[in-house]
Amino acid sequence: MILGVVRLACDALPDVEIVREVDNAPDAFEAATRIDPDIAVVDLDLADTEGADVLRGLRDRGFAGRIVAVSERVDGQAVFEAMRFGVDAYLAKPDGLRRIGEAIRRVREGERVLDPALENAAVLELGRFARQARESSEMVSSLTRREREILDLLAEGLTMKQIGRRLGISPRTVETHVAKLYRKLAVRTRVQAVAKAASLGLIELR
Amino acid sequence: MAPIVRQGRQSPMTATDRWGYPRATGPDLMSRRPTPEAAAPAPRRKLGVVLVDPLPVVRAGVALLIDERADMEVLAEAGDGLDGIEQLAKVRRSRVVVLVGLGLEGDHDASWLIRTVRERFPEHALLAMGANADPSTVSHALFVGADGYVDKNCDPTEFLVAIQKVAVREMVLLGPAAAAVGEIADGIELRRDLDLRLTGREREVLAVAAEGLTARQIATRLGVRERTVTTHLARIYGKLGVGNRLAAVRMAARSGLVTVGAND
Repeated sequence: MILGVVRLACDALPDVEIVREVDNAPDAFEAATRIDPDIAVVDLDLADTEGADVLRGLRDRGFAGRIVAVSERVDGQAVFEAMRFGVDAYLAKPDGLRRIGEAIRRVREGERVLDPALENAAVLELGRFARQARESSEMVSSLTRREREILDLLAEGLTMKQIGRRLGISPRTVETHVAKLYRKLAVRTRVQAVAKAASLGLIELR
Repeated sequence: MAPIVRQGRQSPMTATDRWGYPRATGPDLMSRRPTPEAAAPAPRRKLGVVLVDPLPVVRAGVALLIDERADMEVLAEAGDGLDGIEQLAKVRRSRVVVLVGLGLEGDHDASWLIRTVRERFPEHALLAMGANADPSTVSHALFVGADGYVDKNCDPTEFLVAIQKVAVREMVLLGPAAAAVGEIADGIELRRDLDLRLTGREREVLAVAAEGLTARQIATRLGVRERTVTTHLARIYGKLGVGNRLAAVRMAARSGLVTVGAND
């Protein structure tokens, strides 16, 4: 359905032509690198691939052209995520499709096209994002170097005894550190501690 | 367009929000024409605003705009960060909106003020005001604790709506910044990563290095040995995965950790 709408819209634009049509992510990546179009119109609701993964795939392959994203999702998280991959327009299905020609024309001129309601939703999401970033950096600065070392070793799955041996301190001392660490992270178990640390970006889960 | 469901908001039928302030409505905001909602009992208290900006004309303009409104009032004004905090300490209200001009400079600049308000008056809302601030500046303001950012060249009506929105802790971006959500988020993420990876001392060294000083000059400034500075710098490059100072400084600048060039 989208292809048809885009075709119609492009036909109406004098200086726009469709250079390639694809219906799956791998072909899109291939087209983006081989043809390197000025604009990619991307349906974020593909059957096999998450919308964000399509956008990430395009950008990771060095596609620097403009992106017009089309999606059923109108929640702040979806729009915010798309904006983080540098989409120039985000149109909601099905109503937004009516403006796809206008969107293509405007992004071509370097403008961004986003419905005020979608923009507002993305901004609210940015607010949550900023707050979370601030909280994690505050939490990190409250941890001592020793506590961070121990956190890393906990994440590796070492026992208290092994951690003590690794750091040259007694298991009892390790336990004291761990108790303090749990209190600061507001968790009760090792699994929770590791999950929390990962979500804060403190450790990387492999 | 399918409706956007916002969390935590009530139905649009209510004339006031949960703190008793009139809800921000669209273009009707400036008109004094009594509406059916306005016939309801007046809000218990006006929304208090504290204004901190280095430019007297900006303060005067914003104050005029706010005093036009029946449901808002300027409680205090200050021209610098330190005075702003002193004024806030005198305000005997629990929830006010603090407008912070990003043009505040010196030891008590805008980010100092934002952090200090967050720490000492956590119940207050903070709205940063700038003029064509780039995304990294906005990132920094949001990261240190602002609830929103407005550009001074925005529409006055929208400006007032923004004040009401941040009063209920709803994030606002007004002006060109709204189109730069992606870049602003990148800056915030980068800033968080710098905080996670670098120690406080390393961030300090990086900030001074961004001024373009030699290792010896940095050492003098921070009161440490030159060797210590070069060790710090090497460790910073390693942690950030960059090869030289320029790349490290560019990263810090994008995150808003250091300001390169003037910003308002």
